[in-house]
Amino acid sequence: MTEQEIQGKGYANPDALVSTQWVAEHLDDTDNVRIAESDEDVILYDIGHVPNAVKIDWVEDLNDPLMRDYLDPEHFANLMAEKGITPDTTVIFYGDRNNWWATYALWVFRLFGHDNVKVMDGGRVKWEAEGREMTQDVPSYPRAEYPTPERDDAKIRAFKEDVERHLEASGPLVDVRSPGEYKGELLHMPDYPQEGALRGGHIPGAANVPWARAVREDGTFKSADELREIYEGEAGLSGGDDVIAYCRIGERSSHTWFVLSYLLGYDNVRNYDGSWTEWGNLVRAPIER
Amino acid sequence: MEPNPAVALDRKSRIALLVEHFESPRHKGPLEVADVAMPGGSPECGGSVTVYLKGDGNGELEALSWTGQGDTISMGATSIVVERILNDGLSMDEVLEADYQELIDSLGRDIIGNRTRHATLGLSTIKAAIRQYRRTGRPQAEL
Repeated sequence: MTEQEIQGKGYANPDALVSTQWVAEHLDDTDNVRIAESDEDVILYDIGHVPNAVKIDWVEDLNDPLMRDYLDPEHFANLMAEKGITPDTTVIFYGDRNNWWATYALWVFRLFGHDNVKVMDGGRVKWEAEGREMTQDVPSYPRAEYPTPERDDAKIRAFKEDVERHLEASGPLVDVRSPGEYKGELLHMPDYPQEGALRGGHIPGAANVPWARAVREDGTFKSADELREIYEGEAGLSGGDDVIAYCRIGERSSHTWFVLSYLLGYDNVRNYDGSWTEWGNLVRAPIER
Repeated sequence: MEPNPAVALDRKSRIALLVEHFESPRHKGPLEVADVAMPGGSPECGGSVTVYLKGDGNGELEALSWTGQGDTISMGATSIVVERILNDGLSMDEVLEADYQELIDSLGRDIIGNRTRHATLGLSTIKAAIRQYRRTGRPQAEL
């Protein structure tokens, strides 16, 4: 796939994606571009990664180690400095599971105002399928200057209170979990009640669009027309809506946030990262099944 | 569970061990005669497994297998654990007493990081299967 083919998919912001070919041509442009792998399967980077790519681990790197929150601005600046990323660096995310974790990392970068971010369409699976070069060599970059940014959660992140207000206003919600979770048939993993919720179901009025419906078999995103058919034709959203997406902890819904915000060009989409692990445990929170 | 030689391996070798088990899983496949089939995990987060357990009628394991899908850590660790249990001939009590932290140490804490639930998915589901067997799956004559 080339940039022309991405352009041909009709996205509102085609520049949010780059092709595997583009990445292959920019492997050595390390002064301007930082390729970042972010996976669910954390061993994959060690097994082999795109040459010169750094690893961004959403748990180790992006989460606050104590409180349920993301890292603070000082730690973000330090992480960027360690990875040789300046505020002007274009960060290209890619990863496993249809770029699920890549879009999650991208969303966290956006909280800190690092807006020069893109996703490699097709992710790791496409890069591998094309037989492109992989390496186990971990690159080392000179420490970069990255001023401590301000974190702005208001625009793209929703908290519980925001969802409650949204509910009162009958605002559109998208539940991107599996139908079993949406219907309340799955509460938590056996032996891992802390990973689940005390009640099953979904936030009243939420449409159910499992996140992976946005991608094709080869891992690339569906075209804008195909996406509109799903999110607008089936789920009833429209571009002017103020949309909140959620899942279990906010990772799958970051993928949907990326699709709606960048590919379909919605102006107001927020990711509720508290998601079902918060809502399904809240006393007296309304639930539908 | 007995200390495993894997503890002495370096990071690269421990990753290679997990990958090798991931690619060539041991004792994987459903067990037709199982007394208990215990699901665990989540296909949407790390991985899911089903553990098949058959008791020997005297409160010990006769057979153990598993199916599942997930990431390298959850699938590789499940294969490693099942293989250790069967190779070492562990009793049900010994499996229930197996320490999650020791398992993580043997797999490599530097590799597992915060993904401890992925690493312990197999062992915890096996423990759940044993508890289920003792509650309901034990042949009637043994109750």
